[in-house]
Amino acid sequence: MEKIKANLIEHVKSSFPEASATNHDGNRLDFTVKKECIPSILTNFKDILGYIHLSHITCVDWLEEGEFEMIYIVWSPEDKIKIFVRTRVERDNPVMPNIDMIWRQANTYEREFREMYGIQFTGLVGAEEFILEDWDGPPPMRRDFDTEKYAEETFFHRPGREDALDVREEIIKRSLEEIPDYAKKYSR
Amino acid sequence: MREKATTLYLGPQHPGITGNMMIRLKVEGDTIVGAQTEVGYLHRAFEKLQEKRNWLQSFTLMCRYCVPETDPMEESYARAVEEIEGREVPIRAKYIRVMVLELARLASFMLWYGGQNGSLGLYTMGQWSVGDRNYILDLFEELTGGRVYHMYIWPGGVRRDLPKGFEQKVLKTMDYLEKRLGDYDDLMFDNAIFKKRTQGVGLVDKATAIEHGVVGAVLRGCGIKSDIRIDDPYEVYDKLDFEVPTAEGGDIWARALVRRQEARQSIRIIRQVIADMPGGSVYNKVPNPQKWILPKGDAYVRTESVRGEIGLYLVSDGGNMPRRVHLRGAAYVHAVSLLEDVLVGENVADVSAIMNSLGTCPPEIER
Repeated sequence: MEKIKANLIEHVKSSFPEASATNHDGNRLDFTVKKECIPSILTNFKDILGYIHLSHITCVDWLEEGEFEMIYIVWSPEDKIKIFVRTRVERDNPVMPNIDMIWRQANTYEREFREMYGIQFTGLVGAEEFILEDWDGPPPMRRDFDTEKYAEETFFHRPGREDALDVREEIIKRSLEEIPDYAKKYSR
Repeated sequence: MREKATTLYLGPQHPGITGNMMIRLKVEGDTIVGAQTEVGYLHRAFEKLQEKRNWLQSFTLMCRYCVPETDPMEESYARAVEEIEGREVPIRAKYIRVMVLELARLASFMLWYGGQNGSLGLYTMGQWSVGDRNYILDLFEELTGGRVYHMYIWPGGVRRDLPKGFEQKVLKTMDYLEKRLGDYDDLMFDNAIFKKRTQGVGLVDKATAIEHGVVGAVLRGCGIKSDIRIDDPYEVYDKLDFEVPTAEGGDIWARALVRRQEARQSIRIIRQVIADMPGGSVYNKVPNPQKWILPKGDAYVRTESVRGEIGLYLVSDGGNMPRRVHLRGAAYVHAVSLLEDVLVGENVADVSAIMNSLGTCPPEIER
């Protein structure tokens, strides 16, 4: 395993000198590259090194650092190693290269990230709407989007169901019934 | 004369659709010439909600990602947290986890039997298999208190030890189910209608499978031997003896053959696990959940479910809540990009059979 990893690091460094590698325990190996290199390094992994399975694409919002991190996880059935290809993109006006010509399924991930994080992928084809319908707010998976605040502002409580309300008392008020004595001790 | 193309909206409320999603079909007569998956009827923003919950509160949402098989998600989360924290899990807990995962697989296979046949009009199978699934749910109820959502496999081990005499009950149920699987074969695989409706329908070839990142039984139905339990073993799967069935053809029939064998392999695994189960504790206690802080780090873990590989990416920024949870179920690729391609050229009547066969589960797509 360690020998395969060493060979992989050597191969990647020869083609992408600026890539930095981090070795982890078990069958995991991380590479960090510039975002422009993503399509070429993934093609390299798929076509030359046999990492044919794109297992996952994910995006993490590092709000404090003003960056999104994109991570592409590829897997080789022969080497049995998980490769993490990581890159960072600035949070203001984020643009990433599109990789759905390498793996067709990447299209689904990219459509989701465009909607949920507001990341644009160059040349991405696919309906603008994926999960959200008629959405005009900010991309909701960003860390600075407050779900609770949005819900409070957008929706309203059913009358008698406002927050922190004693629902039993409201129901009794509406039905004009007295609280029975035995139940009074439970009432607030 | 060429038929005029019309648009057919299949779902979101349709008995043939496996959950709340819609497929926008372009049809010419009965033949599909274009398809587009439309989701958004079920988005619950679990991933966003989990970012505001501590590590244990977040765990309670994991099993709710997808109803037919809830334990792989719990197990993924538990394992990801353990990987980030470096927490040891008692060996007995690992055996119990495998038993629960395989029981969940069996229960999910039973639902698939019902769904796959129901989509072709063979309703008897659904009555049988969903009825038999209840025997597994009874076991879950005794073990965990819940029939569908268990919240049993949690970080550090499992929630409690097996009740007294539970192993014997499981073995008895396995004997019964093994006998029943023979009955299912008579009804399903010796059935001329089933053969006619499934052979050569919903074709996925090897090249398409790799291009789309296909996983699980769909990949094995193309003749590619791939199973996370063997390739990237977790818990105690590397100590167990079982086979990974494959079939050639890449159609619904091939995938059904694979699943038929896999259900039997699950029974085989459960028997082994019970025979080999060591004693000892089942839980490596975690700190007070309110003060439980994980070190900085990330983990990507994969679990084999009936629908295929489930991947969970978990990030900790050194706080008491997850920075990011991202679950990728098999349906995320099967039911969007792959389904859109596979449906072209098929008959409208086969859409639901193809969806069932690809393991479509809409809650996995939009989470």
